Parts: sequence; structure tokens; C-alpha cells
Amino acid sequence: MVSFSERLTVAPDVLFRLVGDEGVLLNLNTTLYLGLNPVGTRMWHALTSASSIQAAYDALLAEYEVEPAQLRPDLEEFIQRLLGQKLLVAGPAIEASHEPA
Amino acid sequence: MTGVTDLLETATSGSSSFEAGAGPRYRYGVYGMVISSDTPLDLPSDTHGGLARVECVNASAIAYLAATDRRGDNGDADSWYRYVVLRDGSTYVRWRTIGEFLVAADGRRIMFRRFDQASLESFQVYLLGQALSFALVRQGFEPLHATAVVVDRRAVAFLGSNAFGKSSLAACFLEAGSRLLTDDLLILGESRNRLLAYPGPPRLKLFPKLARRFFGQDATNRVHMNPDTDKLILPIEERRRHGRPIALDAIYALAAPRDACRTLCVSVERLSPREAFLELLKGTFNRRLVDQPRLQRQFGFMARLADLVAVKRLTYPRAIDRLPEVREAVRADLARDARPALNIQPGFLD
Repeated sequence: MVSFSERLTVAPDVLFRLVGDEGVLLNLNTTLYLGLNPVGTRMWHALTSASSIQAAYDALLAEYEVEPAQLRPDLEEFIQRLLGQKLLVAGPAIEASHEPA
Repeated sequence: MTGVTDLLETATSGSSSFEAGAGPRYRYGVYGMVISSDTPLDLPSDTHGGLARVECVNASAIAYLAATDRRGDNGDADSWYRYVVLRDGSTYVRWRTIGEFLVAADGRRIMFRRFDQASLESFQVYLLGQALSFALVRQGFEPLHATAVVVDRRAVAFLGSNAFGKSSLAACFLEAGSRLLTDDLLILGESRNRLLAYPGPPRLKLFPKLARRFFGQDATNRVHMNPDTDKLILPIEERRRHGRPIALDAIYALAAPRDACRTLCVSVERLSPREAFLELLKGTFNRRLVDQPRLQRQFGFMARLADLVAVKRLTYPRAIDRLPEVREAVRADLARDARPALNIQPGFLD
């Protein structure tokens, strides 16, 4: 399992588009298409824009009325699936001082 | 990605890697394209082409040697269908009893050869359907596997794979006075801030039972699509077809036959944009070309389309006698959703 201290980025050759309020993904290398429901789409945005998974988790916890004990495994499962499909890649978190303004 | 204007420029400039023949003498309009051919085709003359150009040239067997000599791309050379992408990017396709085609890598030219046992009508179905789809995709278009009719001055498309019932449903609409826009292959494009559906060849492919039901006994005395099917090619007379581009109002994705078998009633369900996107992807006409630039363009096109057009799942029992009921359900659904023509932002094809 990936550490929450790591940061997730969109894998090369993966396309993401919003259709309505839902996301669709294509991995050009595997030709896999995937659809995300509105919650999954929000998770995707949070994960791919945050400096770390922990930061994304904190943002989602603040945004949704959800217990930490429920959000954490849901997010972990979501991340595992996206990593498994090679749609996201994990790397070191961005240091606070290095975050873009 | 290439826009419509760019397509026209590239279609009329540059040189083809194909050898020049006698040169095309006939000009036709279909799917919004100008088709020029050195051989007469059963198509309307060029009245509304302009999206792009495709040149069709009759060529003898020697022109296909590079493709037919090659082994291993698509297995058995005696199989019904053979498909090879050659080193120069051109595409060779062949149907055993129909003919063979070589589509240039830039999609601007198709060389063709009709086999002796194929009727002209049958050959043209493959030339202007499957073979042409390679040229369209190569030129940056995304054809949909759909049949479209004009209902109350709006185009309505039925999306689905082979044997999903697209043509049968269209025939039922024609019986009630609607006009045929296209059968099997649908090209969408933008013009004057509207999403337009373009007319295809004036013919419909139907099994004899359905042809008899909707067009009378005489309709069954027609040419078969190929020797291995009972499906007939029915020419559609001018008064029953719509020959100009027209605004697209809705796409109905037909339920797969196996799902339709389980239902007793007619239902129309509006799909979310995400569901619509996936249905549109499944409804692509040409699944063979899967290079990354094509997939990338297709992804953007389908996502944009899913945002712009109402896509609905249409489920109904597969029984001829129920088709009028399906037709009325679609009409009622269209009336509920009646709205002005869609406005498309510039750059739709980007």
C-alpha cells in the first residue's frame, strides 16, 4: 500500500476529461477507459492536485460529512485501483516551501 | 488536433504516395465528403461536400501485391475478412467475395477492386461503409455506428453494433413518413455553431421479413449484402430520404439483443454524460485503427459529444410487431425534450 506521505500524479499517456460532473479516463498504453462517478471525480481532483495523499485526505475529510474510519479505507481502495490500472503514479510529496504559489 | 478547416486544406494540398491513375471523372457527395471516382457510383452528386475529400480509384490486382504478399498480420489469407496495415501506413482490407481496398495513410485516396462474384450494389456497400471509414478516420473524423432518420425536421440517431436493430427501427420510421438520413455510418460535424448530421448513401440494409413488412413484397427482390447473409440492400427513393446536413437532436443507444430479449416493455432512459461517453465509445464505427493519436482524438470527441447531445438508452422487445410502439415512444420522448438546435462552441473538433 502506498504511504499517505507520498504524492500522486497522473501517469504519462493518461487522459482525463470531465463530462458533466463526472470524469472519464483513458490510458493510451493499455487502451483502458474508465468512468468516475461524481465522488470518484472529486477524489481524483483532490489526489492529483494535492501535495500529498495526506493533504488530499484532509481536504476530503473537511469537505464531506464522513467519518475518518470510513474515508480512509475508501480512499485507499480508490488509490489502489487507479495505481493498479496505471492511471496514477506515486512519488515523493512536494515540500511545503516548494509548493507552487 | 485538426479542425474542419485544416482538414479541407490538407485534403487539397500535398501529394499522395499512391501512384496516379487515369484520374477521377465523377464527383459525389456523401457523409459531407466530396467523393471523386474514376468509376460511376450509386451516390448523389456533390451538393454539400466540404468537410474533406476522398478519391476512389479502380486499380488492378497488382496494386495490392504488397499487402497480399505479406503474412502474419491477419492470419488466414482465405478468411472472409483480411486487414493489414502496411509499412507506409496505408491500410489494406479485403472481403473474400466482395473486393479489396487500399486506403492511403492520409485517408485521401482509396484504391479498390471489385471481385467478379460481387454485385455492384454489394461492393458499394463495403466501399462506402467499412473501407471509407478507414479513410475518414485517417482524415481525423470519428464515424459512429449509427442509423439516422429525420423526425420533425430534426435528426435522430440510433446507435448500436451489427444486429442491434438500427435499420429495422429506421424502416419503421420511414413507414410513418420520416426520411432516412444515413444507414450504419454517421458523420457529425460543426457548421455555423450547430452540430450537424450528414447524409449517407441512399440505401437501407434489411432482412427480407422486415423489408416485406415495411416496403412491401417487391422489396424482397433485391441484392443480398453478401453471399453469406440474407440481408438485402434496399435503394431508398428520393422522397424518402433527406439529402442535406441537418441538426442532430438526440442519440438513442439501442440495447444489445441479449438484453432486449429479457424485456417485455419499451423504455427510454437518459444517460449521464459519463454513461453516454461510454456508449458513444462502444458505438464507434471503426475499431481497427487504435494508434495513439486516433485514441486521443476519439477520447476528446466522444467526451465533447457526451456533453452536447442527449444520449438515451432505448430498450425494447425484438419483435417486428412492437416496432411501431417503439417509434411512438421515441416520438413522445423527443416531444418531451423539444428544445432549440444545439449550440456548439468553436473548436468542437479540437
